[in-house]
Amino acid sequence: MIEVSFMSYILLAIMLFSIGIVGVISRKNIFIIYMSLELMLNSINLILVALSRYFGSMDGQIIAMMVMAIAAAEAVVFLSLIVSLYRLKHSINIDDYNSLKQKGTL
Amino acid sequence: MDIIFLVLALLALFGATSTIMFSNTVHSALGFVVTVLALAGLYALLNATFLFMVQIIVYAGAIIALLLFVIMFLNIQQSHAPKEPNKYLLMLVSAIVIVPFDYLLFKAFYSISFAGDANITTKDFGNIKMLGNELFKNWILPFEAISLLLLVALIGAVVLARKKERA
Repeated sequence: MIEVSFMSYILLAIMLFSIGIVGVISRKNIFIIYMSLELMLNSINLILVALSRYFGSMDGQIIAMMVMAIAAAEAVVFLSLIVSLYRLKHSINIDDYNSLKQKGTL
Repeated sequence: MDIIFLVLALLALFGATSTIMFSNTVHSALGFVVTVLALAGLYALLNATFLFMVQIIVYAGAIIALLLFVIMFLNIQQSHAPKEPNKYLLMLVSAIVIVPFDYLLFKAFYSISFAGDANITTKDFGNIKMLGNELFKNWILPFEAISLLLLVALIGAVVLARKKERA
């Protein structure tokens, strides 16, 4: 049987973070990009909690809780931005959100 | 404990993979719920009992519910989903690009050494009393700053998402 140690948690967190980055790079659906961002935040939280457990200090769990609070605030603003963008463009494709793009070049 | 860790880790990876693979947005959100709940179980394994509850209540209960609510509120159909002809190619390329970064991260964490016996913790480690003591003794300023941030986010969401009245 494998011994569950600190490194197994770190390995899992690194894999989840990589899946999040792959999702952000490869998808065009704005909701899936948002969920990939949340996935990255969650994997960082897992690292913080594991460090807190193995160093025997509560600071990691406090920071993880603050990350959760910021993620909740970010979720509210992100989703309201999506709602107003969808009213404007009637699309959830990120390629349609190009109002700030410089025209003419490229 | 090993079996529980393996099952939860596989569930988390399965949910994360299904989140970025499905083309239906609602299916992706349900896959993300699986990941969030598996991570909550991992927090419980790491003695973080209060964070276990917070993860379930805040993530699975509030954030994902809000996300699903917005998806259904906007009435996103399968036909609205953007066409992604070279999705799998992009996934493969970005997975290859990310590997050196992962290796660096793994090496950095591998060099950490823990003083003393890491397998022993006190009985109330990670419960709500210890977390509250720590939060209100040493982290009071960040705590107040976050309450302000939540208020700003609340007002910002109302301002951004309301209907613009015609001038």
